[in-house]
Amino acid sequence: MSSPQIAGAVVRRWLALALETVAAHEEELGRLDAAAGDGDHGATMVRGLRAAVAAAEKVNGSDGQLLAAAGAAFADAAGGASGALVGALLTTTGRTLGDGPYDTPSVVKALQAGLTMVKRLGKAQPGDKTLIDALQPFVDALAAQPPDQPLAAAWRAALPAARQGAAATASMVAKRGRSAKLGERSLGHADPGAVSLALLLQAAEAVLPSATDR
Amino acid sequence: MTRLFNDPADFREELIEGFVAAYGRLVRRVPDASGVMAVDAPQPGKVSVVVGGGSGHYPAFCGYVGPGLAAAAVMGNVFAAPSAEQVYRVTKAVASDAGVLYCYGNYSGDVLNFDMAELRCQDEGIDVRTVRVTDDVASAPRGQEEERRGIAGDFFVFKIAGAAAARGDALDEVERLARKANDRTRSFGVAFGGCTLPGQSAPLFTVAPGRMELGLGVHGEPGIQSSHMRPAREVADLLLDTLLADAPADSGSRVAVLLNGLGSTQYEEMFVLYKDINRRLLTEGLTPYKPIVNEMVTSLDMAGCSLTLCWLDDELTTLLDAPCASAAYTNM
Repeated sequence: MSSPQIAGAVVRRWLALALETVAAHEEELGRLDAAAGDGDHGATMVRGLRAAVAAAEKVNGSDGQLLAAAGAAFADAAGGASGALVGALLTTTGRTLGDGPYDTPSVVKALQAGLTMVKRLGKAQPGDKTLIDALQPFVDALAAQPPDQPLAAAWRAALPAARQGAAATASMVAKRGRSAKLGERSLGHADPGAVSLALLLQAAEAVLPSATDR
Repeated sequence: MTRLFNDPADFREELIEGFVAAYGRLVRRVPDASGVMAVDAPQPGKVSVVVGGGSGHYPAFCGYVGPGLAAAAVMGNVFAAPSAEQVYRVTKAVASDAGVLYCYGNYSGDVLNFDMAELRCQDEGIDVRTVRVTDDVASAPRGQEEERRGIAGDFFVFKIAGAAAARGDALDEVERLARKANDRTRSFGVAFGGCTLPGQSAPLFTVAPGRMELGLGVHGEPGIQSSHMRPAREVADLLLDTLLADAPADSGSRVAVLLNGLGSTQYEEMFVLYKDINRRLLTEGLTPYKPIVNEMVTSLDMAGCSLTLCWLDDELTTLLDAPCASAAYTNM
């Protein structure tokens, strides 16, 4: 992070922007969810992010500590599978990041730990039409960036992989979650969890310090 | 249409407060948690059965909390599993020295959150076991029964687990009996119209006039098949053809029967349907045991119904007959 940063400022700004971004897409996420589920994914994400923003306000600490606290609050407020999985992703990533450094290799390592936790809890793999189909390509693309590249530039370069991964879920048949009971009828609609995860990643682009990492 | 609410975001909290205000003789609020517990829970030496899931399914899940039934219910937002944190807090409030049995419908959100809470409780030395209800034959084929979701069969599994716990059975035994009840329970449903979440202007899904959806989920998951609307006697045959084709092996001839309304189906229509269900059961050589025609697991204001059969033996019959009291079901 470029100095002079206040501890936790990046995560606070990211959460605020993530809430704004997801809220702007709340109806669209609901429609995607209604195609194969109960139509509340947008509302669930907004509820979780509001609680995450509030929790981060109350914690004094590093970006890693804030992210972990935000994940716990997200999981509790959102509920459901999305709450548990996105919450665990944030918490595990935050704990692994800890007090830094927040350079590209450490962020890759932290996100890989988060991804592993999501796979373990959700018992899902790439291709199952879940948030993993946006997260895994993004983490792989981020890991493929030169390690000395500033985080903001590496993040920007990896983002298309998340968007493409989310879009590609439209041609997948769900294998996990409630929509899995529909088999072929889940075809043709992108997975709302993958789409909202891509939005979360996209929101981070604007808040990552563009100067050098420290 | 869900018409009565204030801020839709407060729906769960307000329904819990109202439920406790109305049924304080049976339940109380779990402090600092989204759930209710029986007034007599926890009881030393007796297993606590903890049920739960999303809201929008009343009487599931808080309506089954009370003496002789569930010790507590964890309540999520409408159609959303409760968080692991809430499951944990409710478990801590009712855990007895005899342990805790989690009983809930098999949905990935519930599985994730209850499993996380179970691990956390076990780390703290609380013996927690889990039996997931998997009665909906429409949700996975034979041979993959453990993949099926739980619908109205929840009721029989909760009742039998709660009765075994109240009798003082050890945790191993309560778990075994709940699992046995689930293994012998099958449900199948039809829907004629969608449900609308609080604050939403449009239903989650619609069923075209003159048609019905078969095997529809209780959260608006589309059905596995669509059909033209048929007379009640043909609907009865359709439900029973499906259930009987899936009957558990060597299960005997005595069946507990639940014809369950999903939220906005007339009781009188259900009795018309039950007449034909009863006739067909007898034709098949089955003996309906204390049938229930009622709303037991709903889906907001969805139009439709499901039929559940639980093939009984002597030990399950005894537990089904045991006394209990709860807001939605009392047997004295």
